[in-house]
Amino acid sequence: MKRFFRSLQAKYMAIILVALFLFQAAYLLVAMLVMGLQEDISGEKNKNESDPNHIEEKWHADAAELENSSSETIQRLFSKWKNDYPDASMFWVDEKGNVLEQLDVKGDLPANWTPAFTAKFIKERYGGDPFTVISFIGGDEKNGFIVLEIPRNLFLPPIVEVTEKYGLLLGAGLLLIISLFIIVSFLFFRGIRKRLLHLQEAMERRDMDNLPIGIDVKKNDEIGQLEQTFNEMIIELKESKQREQEEEQLRRELIANLSHDLRTPLTKINAQTYSIAKENLSPEGKQAVKALETSIVNIDRLIENLMSYTLLMASKHKQELIELDAVRFVRESMASWYPVFEKESFEVIIELEPFEEKWQADPVWLSRIFDNILQNVLRHAKDGLYLEVATESTYEYDEIIFIDHGKGLNNSSGEKGAGIGLSIIDLMVKGMKLDWEMESGVDGTAIRIRRIK
Amino acid sequence: MVRILYIEDEGDIGSWLKNDLGERGYEVIWLQSGEGMENYLSDADIAILDVMLPGLDGFSLGKRIKKVKNDMPVLMLSARTAVEDKLEGLSFADDYLTKPFQPDELAARIEVLLRRFQKNDQVLELHHIQVHTKDLRIIDREADGEIQLTGKQYQLFQYFIRHLNQILTKEQLYEGVWGEQYMEGDKTLMVHIRYLREKLERNPSRPEIIETIRGIGYRVKI
Repeated sequence: MKRFFRSLQAKYMAIILVALFLFQAAYLLVAMLVMGLQEDISGEKNKNESDPNHIEEKWHADAAELENSSSETIQRLFSKWKNDYPDASMFWVDEKGNVLEQLDVKGDLPANWTPAFTAKFIKERYGGDPFTVISFIGGDEKNGFIVLEIPRNLFLPPIVEVTEKYGLLLGAGLLLIISLFIIVSFLFFRGIRKRLLHLQEAMERRDMDNLPIGIDVKKNDEIGQLEQTFNEMIIELKESKQREQEEEQLRRELIANLSHDLRTPLTKINAQTYSIAKENLSPEGKQAVKALETSIVNIDRLIENLMSYTLLMASKHKQELIELDAVRFVRESMASWYPVFEKESFEVIIELEPFEEKWQADPVWLSRIFDNILQNVLRHAKDGLYLEVATESTYEYDEIIFIDHGKGLNNSSGEKGAGIGLSIIDLMVKGMKLDWEMESGVDGTAIRIRRIK
Repeated sequence: MVRILYIEDEGDIGSWLKNDLGERGYEVIWLQSGEGMENYLSDADIAILDVMLPGLDGFSLGKRIKKVKNDMPVLMLSARTAVEDKLEGLSFADDYLTKPFQPDELAARIEVLLRRFQKNDQVLELHHIQVHTKDLRIIDREADGEIQLTGKQYQLFQYFIRHLNQILTKEQLYEGVWGEQYMEGDKTLMVHIRYLREKLERNPSRPEIIETIRGIGYRVKI
């Protein structure tokens, strides 16, 4: 229940209820106002006094009661009625049709009333405005008649009268109440809208780990609950990410340990081989030692490649892209590789022209790619004794080219194991959104690492 | 005699390398764990550490050595080849060599480190000149006199001697000696190399000591 009263729904219901109450109250207020005004308008006058029928009866009665038709009595009657009905006008026409007395009559009355005019007057005034009562004096037509005129608006219902008098004020009051309701509704929805926008903004904000940041929950209504749920979701996301990272770490650790455990005995074999090599060996013995040494190097390389390949396939190989000068990078790679090719008597040609733009690449990955390419050249293209590393730039791309004069990959040198090296090149090049191409024929192989501009 | 503190738990590898390095003229103190390492630190000139060790691992030992004796070169020698391991190792150590390795390569790296930390005074024979590595005195054997270098030439030559047998790119040399970012097309380095050659080489137009490796950079090789 407590929760219900905190909800937006409850608040909205409250606003509607208040609005309904306000409208009702407005009418009540108006009614009360009208009552008050009515008092004001009719003053002491009781209800009967504003009833036309009653007036008519009373006028007839007063007329009938008149004993003579002297000017004096008529005047007295007129002034008595004038006292009661200040807006009324009265006049007396005698039996001959002469107007003898009149009080506050608007417009001109003919001095002499012909039967025709009398008929016309009666016809005009019947049901018309002003309300007109015609009575014979003493109830006898011989004495002439007296006429009472009262403006009709005196008999209008009070509300109409009030509307006419205070209409503007009432309209303004109603308008004020409606505006008040609209403003309260507007503020209510603006508040909701603001909080929703704030929530949206907060959802878009990202932390260091690229997850959304928790929201400070201030109210316990529907939006507050939404924020709460959102916060719980973030916590779950964080936990899941952490679990994933732990698994990743475990996997990496496992592979690293496996590789370590494979390499340790290999190092021992290497040590023994080295010791044997120092003995006085027959030519066959020397050849066997040489073969052993080559195998050790090959196994070492295979373990390394297998490890990288497994990590790459599971997308667990760490990648940190930075902006780097690719030409400088390849030059430094070649600086460390040059002595190896020099020892094998390769002709090494290096033609590097600076690129205009930097590359977005992971230096560790890039050097791994270069190492794999150069290792392949060293192992599979030994016959050509030629290595060329060059750059090429066009409007569309920058590329680094490695050319050898070996027998090509399909007619390779008997030494196997280039496959996994090339797969790693492929995965790493694509992983850094670069491109690569390999042409291989009997005259040699060219590998191009390309960055599209 | 150079003393090497070598920590390796694998008996076969440890005894083999101890012998091999011994034959190369080093005195090797071989321990199978980091326990008691502190007792030998003051005597040793360089440390070679395995990573996977009983008790404290090689990384922790290396960091401890660097804390106690910062001027002692540390070389990590491990079968752990993952980039993460190398990066962690190189965050404090001076070199990282992976197993299996060639003893010749290890010896060469030890020499580089010793030169870099100026632990031993070697006399290098570079064609017609002799270089004393510790104070970088250069003797011209043919003219039988010392060759004097100016400040920048001295620094440049020292950089070459510290990176002996290594090919150095223009960028590396410039940034290593001048300590500023190399700008493409800057001729300062080439001018200084020419001056240096004029002082050192028999025939500066056919340099023997400071080789040009076309397309890459320069090298001083024994």
